[in-house]
Amino acid sequence: MTDTREITLTVNGTEHTIEVEPRQLLVHAIREELDLTGTHIGCDTGNCGACTVLRDGEPIKSCLMFATQADGSDLMTVEGMEDLPEAGGELHPLQEGFREEHGLQCGYCTPGMIMAGKALLDENPNPSEADIREAISGNLCRCTGYQNIVRSIEYAAEELEHGEIAAADGGVAIDADANADGEFDCGVENCCGGPAAEGDGDGDRGSDPASRGERR
Amino acid sequence: MKAAQFEQHEPETVEEAVSLLESLDDRAILAGGQSMVPMLRFRLAVPETVIDINQIDALDYLEEDNDWLRIGALARHADVEHADVIQEKYGSFADAAPLVADPQIRNRGTVAGAVAQADPKGDWGSVLLAHEGEVVAHGPDGERTIPADEFFLLPYDTTLDENELLTELRVPTPAAHEGSAYHKLKRKVGDYAMAGSAARLVLDDDGRIERAGIGLTAVDITNVRATDAEDHLEGERPGSDLFKRAGELAAEQSNPESDEHGDAGYKERMVNVLTQRALGDAAERAGLVKRRVTQ
Ligand SMILES: Cc1cc2nc3c(=O)[nH]c(=O)nc-3n(C[C@H](O)[C@H](O)[C@H](O)COP(=O)(O)OP(=O)(O)OC[C@H]3O[C@@H](n4cnc5c(N)ncnc54)[C@H](O)[C@@H]3O)c2cc1C
Ligand code: FES
Ligand code: FES
Repeated sequence: MTDTREITLTVNGTEHTIEVEPRQLLVHAIREELDLTGTHIGCDTGNCGACTVLRDGEPIKSCLMFATQADGSDLMTVEGMEDLPEAGGELHPLQEGFREEHGLQCGYCTPGMIMAGKALLDENPNPSEADIREAISGNLCRCTGYQNIVRSIEYAAEELEHGEIAAADGGVAIDADANADGEFDCGVENCCGGPAAEGDGDGDRGSDPASRGERR
Repeated sequence: MKAAQFEQHEPETVEEAVSLLESLDDRAILAGGQSMVPMLRFRLAVPETVIDINQIDALDYLEEDNDWLRIGALARHADVEHADVIQEKYGSFADAAPLVADPQIRNRGTVAGAVAQADPKGDWGSVLLAHEGEVVAHGPDGERTIPADEFFLLPYDTTLDENELLTELRVPTPAAHEGSAYHKLKRKVGDYAMAGSAARLVLDDDGRIERAGIGLTAVDITNVRATDAEDHLEGERPGSDLFKRAGELAAEQSNPESDEHGDAGYKERMVNVLTQRALGDAAERAGLVKRRVTQ
C-alpha cells in the first residue's frame, strides 16, 4: 500500500509540486525529491540541527516534520542564501563570515548553523554573544568548539548592520556607505551600480543539485 | 529508520478529530511532532492512521480571561515564550519556556503535546502542577476537565481517555499577591532536565503564604507535587529558613533514579536547591506584585 499525496512547497522562491508518502520526512523530500542536498541529516533524534531550514521564516528541524505537514509553506534552505539581495550575487555575509572566521571544519553542521544564524539575524540584527549562543543551541558541532561559529555570525551581523557588501573577489569587504555616490561598480549584477539582471527570478534556483553548502 | 506506512487524516475541527478517534482503531494523534515523529521513525509507535491536528485552527490560542490563562492545544512552546501576558504575569511559564529543548523545537512543539506525552522529564507538567492547573479534554461525550494532579499516571501514560483529544491547558489567573518560578538543572543547553522545580506562592494581605504549589521534574515516575513542602509553607511568612526546610522536604519526597548524569543522592540535593531557588524567586515576584498594588 503506497498511498501518496501531492504537495506544493515553495523552496528558495521556486514552487515545486511533488508526490510524497505521508511517512516521508520533510528533510528527505528536500534532499531526495528536490535534490537540494545542502540540508544535512546528522541524527535520528532531533538533537543535532543539521537539518535546520526556515519554514515561513521560522527555523525548524526538517527531520521532525512530515513533508505533508509543510504543504503550502515557504521554505528556505542554505542553497537560497546566495540568491538573497544581501549576497550581492556572491556569498551571503553569513557564508562569508564562516569563511573569514573559520566557522567550519568538516562543514557537516554548517548549513544548519547558517540557517539558525539567518533566523536570528532576521529577528535581531544586533545580537549579543549570548543571543547567538542561544540561537544555535539546537545545533551541534563536533569540530569547532562553537567559538568561531559565534564569531562568524557576529561577522555577518556586523557586515549587514554597517551596510557592507562583500566584494566581488569574496575577500575584501567594501563599505557601501563610502560609495554612496554610486560611482563604484564591483561588476556584480544588481550590486554597486553594476548591470541589472533581467528575468533572473527562479531560473537556476532549486534546480542545481550541487549545493553551495556542501561544496566546501 | 523510516516510519512504517500510515494513512493520514487532517481534521479541521475538534468534533471531526473526536469522531475520527472514535471510528478508527489503530491511530495516533500528531501535534507538533517533536516527540511523535521520532517515535514513528523508531517504530516505537506503528499506528495504521495518524490524525494530524495541526489544521484545527480553533485550538491555536493563548489567552487570558477573568479566571484562567488558557493555552490551546496548538500553542507552541515559542508562543508561550514570546507572549507579553506570560512575561508580565506568569513567572514560572516565562522561566520554563526558554528552557524547553531548543529554538527550532520550540517553534513546532506544543505545550499540550508535551503534557500529553507525559514524559517525567518534561518541564510543563511541573509548572501545571504548581499552578493547580487543569487539562481540558474533548471526547465522544463532550468536554471534561481533569485537575493536573489527577492527570499523570505513569511515564507516558495519563488519565486521558483513548477517544479524547486534549484541547486546552489552563491555570488560574494570578491572585493579587502571587508569584511563581521554575528552575531546571540540565547537563547542557537544550537538554531535558536532570531535575527541575516549579513553585507558586499566593500570599494573603498580611504577607503570609496562603497557598503553595510545588511541581518537580525528572525525579519520579511522573511530574509530581511536593505536597509535604507545600503543607509546611502554608500559613507561614516567606523566608530563607522556611524555604530551606521546604527544599529538604521536597528532596525527601522526591524519588530520583541514579543514571549517567548523577546518582540519586545528588539529584535529591539538587531538588532541594532548585526548590529553594524557585521559592525565593516566587516570593520576590509575589512581593513585587504586592508593592505595585499598594503603591
Ligand atoms: C531534542 C529534544 C529535546 C527536548 N527537550 C525537552 C525539554 O527539555 N523539556 C521538555 O519538556 N520537552 C522536551 N522535548 C519534547 C518537546 O517538548 C515536545 O514538543 C513535546 O514532548 C511534544 O509536543 P508535540 O506538540 O511535539 O507533540 P507530538 O510529538 O506531536 O505528540 C506527543 C504525544 O502527545 C500526544 N498528543 C499530542 N497532542 C495531543 C492532544 N492535543 N491530545 C491528545 N494527545 C496528544 C501524541 O499522540 C503523542 O503521543 C524535547 C524534544 C526533543 C526532540
Ligand atoms: S537531523 Fe534533524 S536534528 Fe539531527
Ligand atoms: S564543522 Fe564539523 S560538525 Fe561543525
